[in-house]
Amino acid sequence: MRSNTTAGIALWIMLPMAHATVAPENSLADLSLEELTNIAVTSVSRRPERVSDAAASVYVITGEDIRRSGATTLPEALRLAPNLQVARIDAGQYAISARGFNNAIGNKLLVLIDGRTVYAPFYSGVQWDQQDVMLDDVDRIEVISGPGGTLWGTNAVNGVINVVTRSASQTQGALAVVNGGNFENGASFRYGGSLGSSGRFRVYAKALQLQNTKTAGDVSQPDGWDRTQAGFRADWTDANGGFMLQGNAFHAKSEDRGFFGPFALGALEVSEANLLGQWTQRLAGGSDIRVQAYYDHSKRDDGVLYQPREDVLDFEFQHGIPLGAHRVLWGAGYRRSHDDIRPGVFFGFIPASSTQTWSSLFLQDEVKLSDKVGVTVGARLERNDFTGTEALPSARLAWKLSNDQLLWAAASRAVRAPSRLDRDIVLPPNPPYIIAGGPDFVSEVSNVYELGYRAQPVRELSFSVTAFYQQWDRLRSGQTPPNAQVQNMIDGNTSGLEAWFSWQPMPQWRLSGGMTSLHKDLRLKPGSTDPTGPSELGNDPNYQWMLHSAFRLVDRHEFDVTVRRVAALPVPSVPAYNAVDLRYGWRINTAFSIALVVRNALDPAHAEFGTAPGRSEIGRSALLQLKWSS
Amino acid sequence: MRSAHGLGMVRAIVLAALLSAWAQASCWAQTEPQAAEHQVKAAFLYKFLGFVEWPPQSFERADSPLVIGVLGADALAEELVAMVAARTAGGHPVEARKIRRGDSLAELHVLFVGRTDSAALPGLLGSTKGRSLLTVTESDEALAYGSTINFVVVDNKVRFDVALGPAEQRNLKISSRLLAVARKVLPNPS
Repeated sequence: MRSNTTAGIALWIMLPMAHATVAPENSLADLSLEELTNIAVTSVSRRPERVSDAAASVYVITGEDIRRSGATTLPEALRLAPNLQVARIDAGQYAISARGFNNAIGNKLLVLIDGRTVYAPFYSGVQWDQQDVMLDDVDRIEVISGPGGTLWGTNAVNGVINVVTRSASQTQGALAVVNGGNFENGASFRYGGSLGSSGRFRVYAKALQLQNTKTAGDVSQPDGWDRTQAGFRADWTDANGGFMLQGNAFHAKSEDRGFFGPFALGALEVSEANLLGQWTQRLAGGSDIRVQAYYDHSKRDDGVLYQPREDVLDFEFQHGIPLGAHRVLWGAGYRRSHDDIRPGVFFGFIPASSTQTWSSLFLQDEVKLSDKVGVTVGARLERNDFTGTEALPSARLAWKLSNDQLLWAAASRAVRAPSRLDRDIVLPPNPPYIIAGGPDFVSEVSNVYELGYRAQPVRELSFSVTAFYQQWDRLRSGQTPPNAQVQNMIDGNTSGLEAWFSWQPMPQWRLSGGMTSLHKDLRLKPGSTDPTGPSELGNDPNYQWMLHSAFRLVDRHEFDVTVRRVAALPVPSVPAYNAVDLRYGWRINTAFSIALVVRNALDPAHAEFGTAPGRSEIGRSALLQLKWSS
Repeated sequence: MRSAHGLGMVRAIVLAALLSAWAQASCWAQTEPQAAEHQVKAAFLYKFLGFVEWPPQSFERADSPLVIGVLGADALAEELVAMVAARTAGGHPVEARKIRRGDSLAELHVLFVGRTDSAALPGLLGSTKGRSLLTVTESDEALAYGSTINFVVVDNKVRFDVALGPAEQRNLKISSRLLAVARKVLPNPS
């Protein structure tokens, strides 16, 4: 049977992937068997659900979308989601957020890779230069903009990104990819095989070299990287569930960054290793159980900022129970983190070493009021060492106006609990301090209201529109130095729109696109002495849009054009930019394919983030990709 | 979205919508949980028709309908009825119908037995022994009882296992393309 399974997968890859994100039942019948086995389902409710039925702002990036973008890293793939703001800071660093508050240390987005939370607990943000995956093995990336705290906990304030890789049974055989270009070179390899009669595994390795970027004044920045990553995934399945085990190891080193006055800054060197096990089981009566545990060790040697070493152990349990018209989901989680943060030139942590624990309990009930109307109410209680127990309730309403129209509304309370970065940081590492931690810093809170509409009026066209309004309280603020402390003295509100569409007028051509707009009204509370104010909380464009045309020419040739526009960023000022990316792909035969990717084709270079004149500009780049699969 | 008044409106609408939903809470209707699953399974049931060959004597005439009966899965049945309207398979118009325990199975070419009625499975399989009836199920022990195709949900996706023994006993030919997509194929023990 093995060879048959492999043939099935190969067939699936060759078929034009139906955009499964919004597939009404009428069109399900028109999908092939292979496509049906790959229908995208979402994790909004942490259980299988059609995206078009989910009462949340969800966009699914499919593996096929990633392939046709030519993206070689996870942050670049995330540019495909219209509901995310992705700004490349330099060769390896990114600022990524949903619904604003974007900066290099963004803390309102929760990112998971196969169930493993990849943000660093010590600062509740994601180090994008040390998170990557083998993109060819990614099944889909689910991007939920808006709060997900009830199911996912504090930090899922403005969004959840869920990277889901294919199961080992879907990645059997060998795959080799080689990329070469003027800005990056890379290679990756994967092999998948059997483990006895019910198990499958794959192993992979990926190497990537990123060249230095330049400033607008043509000065080379020491921000290039050499990265290597390797890992495995094994799946054992039976009729009622299965067990998944995966591990990944990552190491990366930047260019040497020279000296800051008398201080040698050295290279930025990061490494990470993790191991995750997940067991799922369907029980009699239709209930299901999921148990997951992982361990993650990370190390970041940054002589400039700070140098954390962090060990995280995380357990999670959830149980879904159908009860007539109700579907109850409850679960519990426990996380323990031990870190040791050595000072850099600028910052230190007091105490340098700390152990913290988080525990949580959640309960959610999804009720079908009628065939057309469903309500989901739930709450999570999460305890952290700094502020004790935080409550994260939410209520969602989904109203199916017809088979292909959904109106939804939601109200949620989202909380961003303090991290060590808020409480324990000092600048410089030794007194007298300019910034002296924030011993009284408490949780940032947002009440979020959302209204959305999704429809597929004809088979060829689907779209989604979401409006949101968020009230903020106790956002992070500073004080006038010296001895400035981190406080909670900013409040206000944000609002905006998110919209996207997909239109496939003919089998060989699909046009898709999306936009977001954001209005921020944040202010310092009376009594605050913060000299900069809300601009520290993120540098956001008030709109962005993108269009993607995917054209399949005759004879296995593909042509893709993506146009993006990002409006100007206010403080520090970054001009608005347009970027045009092109890709030409040719599947030579069932084993070999080749693609030429040109990014930023019409523009020699532009800045996406940071302060002039020292900031990096992202230049025009070309990349040739060769892919071979057995 | 500029005026504070407009923002307040959005909030008011959301709250009003949620409140009115709760007001309805007294008339909760019984519907099947897991909306996604039954739609995908319905699509599979229809797609299977293209990959299974029934002996010619299963049809009165060349254009007689191919009939799918659905037991113990009403939402799936409704989905399937809407889906197969005006569709054909192998030259036969496709017909889907909801059936109840005790209904005649004589006209059926495909029988789907939902999880809620899986206790009736051994009896149903026994009473239709030897007939060219494709049985499709969604319960743990169904293949052991002699079902031919059994749905499973793996990694959030609907997959299926196929048992070749029952297919052969029922004189059904299953295309290798269907087997290639199956998660597991149980070979014919004989």
